[in-house]
Amino acid sequence: MHGIAYNEVHDEFYIPTPLSQAILTFRGAANGEEAPIRVIQGPLTQLDEPQRLAIDPVHNEIVIAQDRNVLVFRRDANGNEAPLRKLTGRDLRPYGAAVDTVRNLLVIPSESTGSGPDRGKFLIFDRTASGEAKPLRVIGGDKSMISRFSGPMAVYPPTGKIIAGMRGETGAELATDECFVGVWNITDNGDVPPHYTIGGPKGVLQMVRGVALNAKHKELIVTDKRLNAVLTFYFPEIF
Amino acid sequence: MIRASRIARTTGLLAVLVVAALGFILVNPGIRPRPGSGFAESSERRPKASRQLVSIQPMMPMGGEMCEWAPASGFARLAASWHGVRTAQSVSARIVSAAADSDVSVEISRPPLRVISDRNPLFSAIAIEPESGMLMVTDQNLFQLLEFNRLDNTPPHARMTEPKRVIGGPLTKAEMMCAVYIDPRTKEVYVGNGDTQRWLPVFSKDARGNVQPDRFLKVEGAVAGMAVDEQRQELFVTIEADKMVLVYKKTASGNDRPIRRLAGEATQLEGPRGIALDTKRNLLFVSNTGNAHSLKYDADITKSPVQIPGTGRFEPASITVHSLDAQGNTAPLRIIEGPNTQLNVPALMAVDEERGELYVANNTGHSVLVFKVTDSGDVKPARIIKGPKSGIKHPSAVALDLKNRELWVTNFGNHTATVYPLTANGDVAPRRTIRSGPADEVNLLIGNPGAVGYDSRREEILVPN
Repeated sequence: MHGIAYNEVHDEFYIPTPLSQAILTFRGAANGEEAPIRVIQGPLTQLDEPQRLAIDPVHNEIVIAQDRNVLVFRRDANGNEAPLRKLTGRDLRPYGAAVDTVRNLLVIPSESTGSGPDRGKFLIFDRTASGEAKPLRVIGGDKSMISRFSGPMAVYPPTGKIIAGMRGETGAELATDECFVGVWNITDNGDVPPHYTIGGPKGVLQMVRGVALNAKHKELIVTDKRLNAVLTFYFPEIF
Repeated sequence: MIRASRIARTTGLLAVLVVAALGFILVNPGIRPRPGSGFAESSERRPKASRQLVSIQPMMPMGGEMCEWAPASGFARLAASWHGVRTAQSVSARIVSAAADSDVSVEISRPPLRVISDRNPLFSAIAIEPESGMLMVTDQNLFQLLEFNRLDNTPPHARMTEPKRVIGGPLTKAEMMCAVYIDPRTKEVYVGNGDTQRWLPVFSKDARGNVQPDRFLKVEGAVAGMAVDEQRQELFVTIEADKMVLVYKKTASGNDRPIRRLAGEATQLEGPRGIALDTKRNLLFVSNTGNAHSLKYDADITKSPVQIPGTGRFEPASITVHSLDAQGNTAPLRIIEGPNTQLNVPALMAVDEERGELYVANNTGHSVLVFKVTDSGDVKPARIIKGPKSGIKHPSAVALDLKNRELWVTNFGNHTATVYPLTANGDVAPRRTIRSGPADEVNLLIGNPGAVGYDSRREEILVPN
């Protein structure tokens, strides 16, 4: 599993299962071999190896990042149900998704296409963008240090911070010193350096995966595949 | 085994270095501007040219024999970072206003406040070579391949059993090692990488440490299970994501292609993981988790397929039985499936050709199920090894030692490999146990944590694996 999102308002969490092309919703206190309370799955869903997702608790929507598109479902969708919206585009290779419910924006980390450098970028869309909508802004380039995304990312709406893990540009698969978690602003545009980096490059992180935020304690939670560990950093600058 | 005194000396030296390093950190704030970022140089006290000893702390008394794992992963760096915890918090507030300027990039080097990780190996796949007593176990926590002797038995009071040989590190092309095989003649070890890598490295019997494999095969998918037909010199692997069985020459390496493929809707391969061969009866067994979707193949099934959107489904776990020669989109000969089978996320398997029995590591069922190789449909297992005395918890693999009439089981859920009489049934205590960590130490069950969530109501961290 490569994605998870918790919804504090409805006390439930969501998991994409790529091999069975489904989105599972569990109650927040789920434990053991417990069945999901809802399953989105079937021909109408257009689910195609869903890997990562985000929850928008304000507008009651689940955003799914797939290989070539972004699907948006009702939060309480269940069974064989079509998405509310679908965002596509020739250059769209989503590696995750996050919603800024304050500014009504959708952030999509997208990997590069074609034969150029393996470099990603953040695409900032209107939250309700669909079809082949163009992004409002793009953050990426040499100075941005945005290279290869390494897992799900996060947005903290009150401050408009984008938080994402980077693998670096070496192409290393097992571990790399280039790994880090970077922080950008959702209002950034173009080749903007990260406002903060933590855990690297040349830091403790070896192959960062997911990120999550604990706003109450001003903490950043990170998983690392190579360390096979969960690390919590005090990171008040995000909040 | 290293004596405690030696450990104490080594650890004492380490403690001094750590304290010195802490001194270094304390005079060097955990936050520094990236060169050229425009952030003014700090006026804080800077370190001198050499490290400074700031204090000496006595070591805790230690008793008994024990070893420390020398991890092949980046764990050592994590451990070092750990010692610097909380040193940089106090300075963080100073740079907040500076970084509000969009042209400023600030590198924050403060260490993590907390780390959740398991310092002990988590046993995954297992292989036994009875003539030499060579027992190979893969570790999916510290990413190592460990060699033990089949007669090893961890005493109850001991922390763990030290392996005879460890292979691990970035050069090895081995990480999520979910399958392992020992060549009975050369004692070469074949390793199947699941999930994160597509390499199948092969190590000589003398390989040790962070070494490159003697050869490796680039497999057309992440390997979930592996088996070898020594008579025909063929290597079988399951590819879970692409619902395939690929058959290579046993000596294949580099970009060699499979000599045949079993794939397609008719095969009823649905999340294939374990694979076992019965060469006596010319049968191929594949365990399936039931996570299914439809795939689009090219006409000759010669390339990796693509998923067809909206075809995902949850099917019952099963064992499909095929001819050893099966290829293409061919239906199985039989299927073992249904509530009576008790299959629940079946993992790796092994066949006893003499007794005509199929052994299944039934992961989520916390059991080893034994079926007859002739079974079909919704059948009850002939035997079930399960229960608190058995020590079986999240079994991920089984291996058979037919010479010594023993069954080996790796338990991903409790740091152990356990061995039973081949005919064991019910809640049977193991004959011997090899432990990789203290008996009372909790196993975190973290394996390739691909994401993380935070439950703000319960203040809990959610880790999907």
